[in-house]
Amino acid sequence: MSAQIDTAAAPKPRARQASPHRTRNLIQNAAVAVIVLAGLALWQIAADRHLINGQLFGSPLGILASAHQGLTTGTLLYDSWVTLYETVAGLLLGSIAGTGCGLGLWFVPKIARPAEGVSIVLNSVPKIALGPLIVIWFGSGMSSKIWLAAISTFAVSMIAATASVRELDRDLLNLFRALGASRGKIFRKLILPSAVPWIFSALRMNIGFALIGAVVGEYIASQAGLGHEVFVAGSLFDLNTVWLGIIVLTLMASLLTLIVRLIEERFVTWKSDR
Amino acid sequence: MTPALAIRSLSHDFIAADGGATPVLDRLDIAVAPGEILAIVGRSGAGKSTLFNIISGLLSPRSGRIEIAGVPAGTGNSRIAYMLQKDLLLPWRSVLDNALLGIELRGKVGAVDREDAIAMLERYGLAAQINAYPHEISGGQRQRVALTRTLLLRPTVLLLDEPFSALDYETRLMLEDDVMSLRDERGMSVVLVTHDIEEAIAMSDRVVVLAGRPARVSQDISIGLTTAGRRDAISAREAPEFRAYHARIWGALKSTAIAA
Repeated sequence: MSAQIDTAAAPKPRARQASPHRTRNLIQNAAVAVIVLAGLALWQIAADRHLINGQLFGSPLGILASAHQGLTTGTLLYDSWVTLYETVAGLLLGSIAGTGCGLGLWFVPKIARPAEGVSIVLNSVPKIALGPLIVIWFGSGMSSKIWLAAISTFAVSMIAATASVRELDRDLLNLFRALGASRGKIFRKLILPSAVPWIFSALRMNIGFALIGAVVGEYIASQAGLGHEVFVAGSLFDLNTVWLGIIVLTLMASLLTLIVRLIEERFVTWKSDR
Repeated sequence: MTPALAIRSLSHDFIAADGGATPVLDRLDIAVAPGEILAIVGRSGAGKSTLFNIISGLLSPRSGRIEIAGVPAGTGNSRIAYMLQKDLLLPWRSVLDNALLGIELRGKVGAVDREDAIAMLERYGLAAQINAYPHEISGGQRQRVALTRTLLLRPTVLLLDEPFSALDYETRLMLEDDVMSLRDERGMSVVLVTHDIEEAIAMSDRVVVLAGRPARVSQDISIGLTTAGRRDAISAREAPEFRAYHARIWGALKSTAIAA
């Protein structure tokens, strides 16, 4: 009898606990939305009444108009696609190459330390400064932006991968050795899987770096892309289009971060903090 | 009778970064009979782990040798398997896949291996956790998975380095029992490296005390306990001789502390 009462009563407190949490979230989100809308309204009113210089600051309705125009002419979608393509291609190229180099160093421990030093120096080079060089080498098309994005992400991935090898539990390595595992098996069954969380955290950081690489590449020399659009609009004092570009770039970064997180959740189901 | 494991005049040095050598182990001679449980006790820094690493083949000694069933370690068919305080389970593998790791690294995992692993995990009360990840089970359960991984290799010599010291007392007694009954069933030899005198006396047939710097065998004590019924982790601790052994080993460890 008492057992029946217990089981029947058990789910209730949980349900009661969940609802205040959800309500609190809803209130918080609503508050953020209200603040943002109020800010936009103030901005629009200030621009309409010439309290601020609309030429220098743009306005929310102006941005909307700019978006509408971009969508009807198709340039907004095309430019977004170009930048997204350059970013993703560069991100994958740089991250895969960096991770490969970092993990590959495990096979050659003698050069691992100096190579790690080189990767740290590489990371401190302002990659954007290489922009003009890359454009001269690879032209003003998409490939120079892909290279710039790849160079911007390579070192981060390499540092993360070498760190994952360095942080590996020596006892685990000893266990594999004592069990007679070949170097290939140690790599496939220990080094690689234990690097996965490091690879993903580098990938998340690299989204921003790849985007900077692609956009700055477009600033330097390009025929298309959001960076190109923003640069041209900026030089024409079309601040609404500049804002539009920034908003789309932010959305793009958020979207890529979300995709990486979903892939990570799919692959790394074993982490204790999930 | 040929010992299951023999440590023959084994000496080893620590080589410092500046090239200077500090002797750690000095001409150790220890033999473990088939089916015997031997405990090696010593203070921390006595060279227990170094000895453990040499026996398990992770370190090459400066001089001396390790023989398994009469032949140099690593050459015969006999197998040494070891287990540490850390369970060393791979977080991305399920309980079953962790248990099968040793077999997988040595060759191919067959259907029979899989069945064996499942049967052994079930025996250790892990039937419901076979597909769980290590972070989803308790410390004692994790250590049992590690024990399963070790035992599936069918070792002739089982090396244990403080394997249960991180566990709560109850779980620890249960695992001590597991090891003792496994020895009874399979007749494998067990070498237990520990600083826990009680665990050493409760589990083993013999206790070797390592002392001095470099470490030598200072005492070699056969343990005979009078237990009511079968000897297990509890009954061994309740044996009338237990305290006397404890005092003797504690005395041996303490005197080395003063000497050092």
